[in-house]
Amino acid sequence: MDRFTAALAGLLGRSAGLLPVARREWAEAVLAEAGEVPAGTRRVAWLCGGLWLVIREAGMGRVIRVLAFAAAAVGLVLIGWPGASSNSATPLNRVYVTGTVVLLAALPWAVRRYVGPVRSGWAPRAARVGGYALVLALIAAKAVKDRNGSKLGAYFVIVPGEWALEIVLLLVIVGYVAGLFILTTERVRLTRWGLPAGIGFGMVTGGVLYALGPLGPGAGHHGSSLKWWGLAALALPVATGLLVGRLAARDARPAVLTPGQGARQGCLAGACATATAALLVAMLTSVTIALFPHQVPLEGTAAAGGGPDAAYIAGGGCETCDPNNTVIPPGLRHEYWVEISVGQAGMGPLAFLLIAPFIGAGLGAFAGGFAGRSRGTSGRGAGGPDALSPPALSQPSGQLGASTPAASK
Amino acid sequence: MTDGSRFSVQTLSVLAALCAEPAGWRHGYAIAKETGLRSGTLYPILIRLAERGLVEACWEEEQPAGRPRRHLYRLTPDGLARAQAALAERAPRPRGHAATAGGRRAAPEGA
Repeated sequence: MDRFTAALAGLLGRSAGLLPVARREWAEAVLAEAGEVPAGTRRVAWLCGGLWLVIREAGMGRVIRVLAFAAAAVGLVLIGWPGASSNSATPLNRVYVTGTVVLLAALPWAVRRYVGPVRSGWAPRAARVGGYALVLALIAAKAVKDRNGSKLGAYFVIVPGEWALEIVLLLVIVGYVAGLFILTTERVRLTRWGLPAGIGFGMVTGGVLYALGPLGPGAGHHGSSLKWWGLAALALPVATGLLVGRLAARDARPAVLTPGQGARQGCLAGACATATAALLVAMLTSVTIALFPHQVPLEGTAAAGGGPDAAYIAGGGCETCDPNNTVIPPGLRHEYWVEISVGQAGMGPLAFLLIAPFIGAGLGAFAGGFAGRSRGTSGRGAGGPDALSPPALSQPSGQLGASTPAASK
Repeated sequence: MTDGSRFSVQTLSVLAALCAEPAGWRHGYAIAKETGLRSGTLYPILIRLAERGLVEACWEEEQPAGRPRRHLYRLTPDGLARAQAALAERAPRPRGHAATAGGRRAAPEGA
């Protein structure tokens, strides 16, 4: 019992560090008074109460978020890590899984340290949780898709150039999460409803684009969805920028936004909307391909049963004469085409991830600036010297400034 | 902000314990013994009361021999007035009403 009690006391002492500095003394108080409590079950109960205090005061949400991320990371490892050594996607998937888990675990710490804490309110926190869920699901689905598309590993050797592209894509995806984290810090001032509007518009657009082409734009019978992608890439940031520009012009909270911020607000919201749409549709498309690989239409000459060099042969070439030419045995040709089709499917949405935020930022800034100018700032109350002063940061709910009334008043 | 004069049964018991000796400092375990509350219940209540400026807290100034310094609590003048009002409001209630509220929140958590 003594060892157990000592272990509990040690755990309480260490876990007190989870609390904000101003509340740490309360956990230390429980620990200090544990010696007064009779040894045995009563002292154990006292210390357990202290641990409950830490869990409660550290914010259940924080503990739950850590546990949820740990569970999701374990899930990602279970899904993405396995793979035969003959599968050429196995090492790539392992790099993706490791890189994703490490970077996503380090991002909150890095952003908090260098940019600042999360903005108060439900929207920033919900956006962060949603962003993490999207990225983890995307990486897991991509790993399964690539594994299904590289079983004949000898014929799908990943060359250094492909490695470089894959690493760039991983960094882009993590960049999305970093951007989301920065967008939801106190330092970035967004007009009221700017973030929910951007994310909401993006999710609706992403859902519609996915419904139009579940396997990606131009795939199979949904080839016409490509034009909708183009339309969405233009309309989404413009609509978001116009709305947020108008919201910014109406935002009369003193010292929150400087006048004439429509373009900046539109830029941020437009980028947020297109990034959300791109990430959502990339995730949904990858999940669909991972779950239903046989629904992916076969590429090229597969339908005719030809090999990868059908055109080469048709042109009079000899497929076995060129030492650099890969010859697929006739018995493997169908499987080869199935796998190459699965591996190449869904690349459109992934490639769109690279440019989506830039399109959104540019068009959103234009639309937001236009909305701000047309609306004018005559109704604003935020002009003058106050506009340059720092934002009135709200005290995080439930945070204790000090334990003495004199200090808290 | 909710009405600060409406406290839970547990909070009222803590206020009653602190009211018994308003000028003196009490430590957590003493309050826990008097109220019968567990540490996981008592300390969140003390934190909320301190946040509202009804309770002040400090550490013992001198290091006593043989034990760690204690965290001490007492009511502020505002806290004393609010506690007395809340306890007085609760006292004249019929016994049956109090029994119904026993062990549960009698009112929205005020602290």
